[in-house]
Amino acid sequence: MRISGFIAKAALALSLVAGGLAPAAAQPKPGGTLIIALESEPGTLAPHTTTDTVAYIPATNIFNGLIGLDFNFQPTPDLAESWSVSPDGLTYTFNLVKTAKWHDGKPVTAEDVEYTFNEAVAKSHPRAASWWPNVASAKALDAHTFEVKLKSAYAPFFTLLASPLSSGVLILPKHIYQGTDPKTNPANQKPIGSGPFKFQSWQRGSHIELVRNPDYFKAKKPYLDRVVFQVVPDSSARVLAFERGELDFLHWYIVPYDQVAKLRSDKRFVVVDKGGEAPATNGFMLMNMRNEYLKDVRVRQALAYAIDRDDIRKKALFGEGKVAKSPINSGLGWVFTDQYNYPRDVAKANALLDEAGFKRGPDGKRFSLRIAWGAGRDYEGRAAEIIKDNLKALGIDVTVQVMDRLAFVDKVFRNWDFDLANQLFTTGPDPTFSVTPRFHTSQIKKAPYVNAMGYSSPAADALFDTEYKELDREKRAQMWKDIQRILMTDMPALPLFEVPTVNAVSARFKDVITGPQGYIQSREDAYEVK
Amino acid sequence: MRGLDISLYVVRRLAQAVPLIFVVILLNFFLIHAAPGDPIDFLVGSMDASPEYIEDLRREFGLDQPLGTQLWAYLTRMAHFDLGYSLRYRQSVLDLILSRMPATLLLMVTALVASSAVGILLGVIAAQRPYSATDQTSTFLALAGYSMPVFWLGQLVLIVFSLHLGWFPTQGMYSLRAPAEGWGRIVDVLHHLALPAFTYSLYHLALIFRLTRIKMQETLSLDFIVTARAKGASEGRVVYGHALRNAILPVVTVIGMNFGFMLAGSVLTETVFAWPGMGRLLYEAIQARDYPVLMGLFTVLSLMVIAANVVTDLIYAVIDPRVVYR
Repeated sequence: MRISGFIAKAALALSLVAGGLAPAAAQPKPGGTLIIALESEPGTLAPHTTTDTVAYIPATNIFNGLIGLDFNFQPTPDLAESWSVSPDGLTYTFNLVKTAKWHDGKPVTAEDVEYTFNEAVAKSHPRAASWWPNVASAKALDAHTFEVKLKSAYAPFFTLLASPLSSGVLILPKHIYQGTDPKTNPANQKPIGSGPFKFQSWQRGSHIELVRNPDYFKAKKPYLDRVVFQVVPDSSARVLAFERGELDFLHWYIVPYDQVAKLRSDKRFVVVDKGGEAPATNGFMLMNMRNEYLKDVRVRQALAYAIDRDDIRKKALFGEGKVAKSPINSGLGWVFTDQYNYPRDVAKANALLDEAGFKRGPDGKRFSLRIAWGAGRDYEGRAAEIIKDNLKALGIDVTVQVMDRLAFVDKVFRNWDFDLANQLFTTGPDPTFSVTPRFHTSQIKKAPYVNAMGYSSPAADALFDTEYKELDREKRAQMWKDIQRILMTDMPALPLFEVPTVNAVSARFKDVITGPQGYIQSREDAYEVK
Repeated sequence: MRGLDISLYVVRRLAQAVPLIFVVILLNFFLIHAAPGDPIDFLVGSMDASPEYIEDLRREFGLDQPLGTQLWAYLTRMAHFDLGYSLRYRQSVLDLILSRMPATLLLMVTALVASSAVGILLGVIAAQRPYSATDQTSTFLALAGYSMPVFWLGQLVLIVFSLHLGWFPTQGMYSLRAPAEGWGRIVDVLHHLALPAFTYSLYHLALIFRLTRIKMQETLSLDFIVTARAKGASEGRVVYGHALRNAILPVVTVIGMNFGFMLAGSVLTETVFAWPGMGRLLYEAIQARDYPVLMGLFTVLSLMVIAANVVTDLIYAVIDPRVVYR
């Protein structure tokens, strides 16, 4: 098997030729400042120590990965211009571009990549333990060739490397970090990368400023003179500033959904419904299977039949997004299936509860439950209120509990002190990274964002433990469809909605989002329309 | 002689503050650790990390130690004026706080000075003609300003003056699209300062206005004012030289006390206007359970409040000759 950046480029060239027959598209022109909103101040600008999303929003513009991802989740060239995989799926060889330079002028070599893997990412990144133990070796073969050998086949390896939030892999300069503690090196606050933009300044609490890297190895890019990341914590103030033209870009999960319709109809703005396919985030209602009622699968299925998820989409998300019909988001088109979804059927829900032995009392009530949500995402609270109403009709009394985010994590994920809980889970960029950790038996542990439901299915575990070794994408997709069937039948967590991917961009800018990680991607293709 | 007395007094007041600060630190420590939530959960983010990694982090930050040991380590550091390292930013807490302090001080001092001056002036004018139209109107407006929550007022101010009238920027401290240099930069910051300072000061202005008005009314009806008028002093001299000089003493006390309240209020104002100050640092540190930053901030804020009280006492000496420092 050989996939090469050359072929990708050839295909691109062909499509450009074909596109040439159509009216000419606007040519990117140099210049301009793009101001991007951040919802909070990043803790660091270096990618290898953190999983904090806001840190990656600037970092992906300062650093490069080995490879990127296209909308089909296939690798695209970045520092690696081509690559190959051995037929057994164990050896990955990357050929680096020879013209890339660090912002201080030194050349980027395979030594830097080797250092990044072995010293920085393996030792500092929170997720390293999920994949690094399967790496037999990661080494530079020569100045521009880098090779990774795996111990056993791992189908989503390219996706992993191309997703810095999942792997932490953005290539660091060895000459800056060598001999220091990569966690505390001062360069983490004043980074030197190889990316399209150079670090200029960081005004604490206010903004981070990057300027154009004139020596960038990708010809003509970037087009913008400056990219500024401004910290604006209040969501209403953010939208006001965006409408006033003080901000040019609000990424998908910080746009308040009640404002989207207004922004869509305003010519000064463009709402881009792409760029969230990689996180592929779904809102779930987790069910605690230790609860005396919820431990019965019929009760969990009854809840799935009774809850009006279309109403949640309409009222809690103001009609944005989609009803989630699987524990995997439909953005992952190659694995997603909606064939195990539950249609709304209140009569069936009542029948299931009766059958489970929880008949209505003389007052019409069956039993009581609590539903928890963590402050910060209002739509999860509105969803909790709708769920409360829906379940009242079933004879289930629901108390809604709201608490601050970390208190919520403490209660739900560390103490398992909950009945129902609304929580967002990413399901991509590959379900191995983000679905398996929520539902595998081994993930029943007192830690954030894992299997707090206490769900355990030997059938699902068997699939979880083998699917990632399957190198045939079709076969692997079928295994994931089987997993979706099991999860939807056992119903440990009801998928409520797919979080809307609505990025708000000023109409003055084009090509701000070009891939499935649109919120944390490099803005090297973005340009201002003059 | 008097100058020496005052410096002795200041030293003694500061010495008295030491046990107070100690109690503040203890209280902060236990309150913060009593709140549910784990800083590691914030650092690890939205997916799981390996237990080994989490244990490493705990060890690195000393969170694996018993609470008593953590407290002792903290007190020892504090005795050396070391506020420790932020869990989230992996930076010195003191540097973090100092980098945010100028923005907060600028906002707060502007708001405090403007609202006190305007509040006192309006209070005096209203007291001279009680129950007149001017008095009624300002009393009504003061009541409204006093009752409006800052986050709501902030939104209103933004919608009117920024979105509709377009007079002021909505957020931040600088124009980022075309950064200004030199004097232009100062004008730019003042332009950004206007709305948050206005929002921030309205409550305080209302309070000072109401207090000044009542105290002035009381004073203006006292015998010595009648005497002053009788001996032929001009109305201006009576009002500002005699009455205000007496009426202002409780007002100064309240301004000093308000300093502390305003520090607390900075959280909301700075969040609404994306002002890069300490209030927002506090808010972000609470969300992240960044214990060292929280304790550092509370300590620094307590010191600032204590300092403000000492300064208030000293101002007394200037405006009230009866006050003697011993």
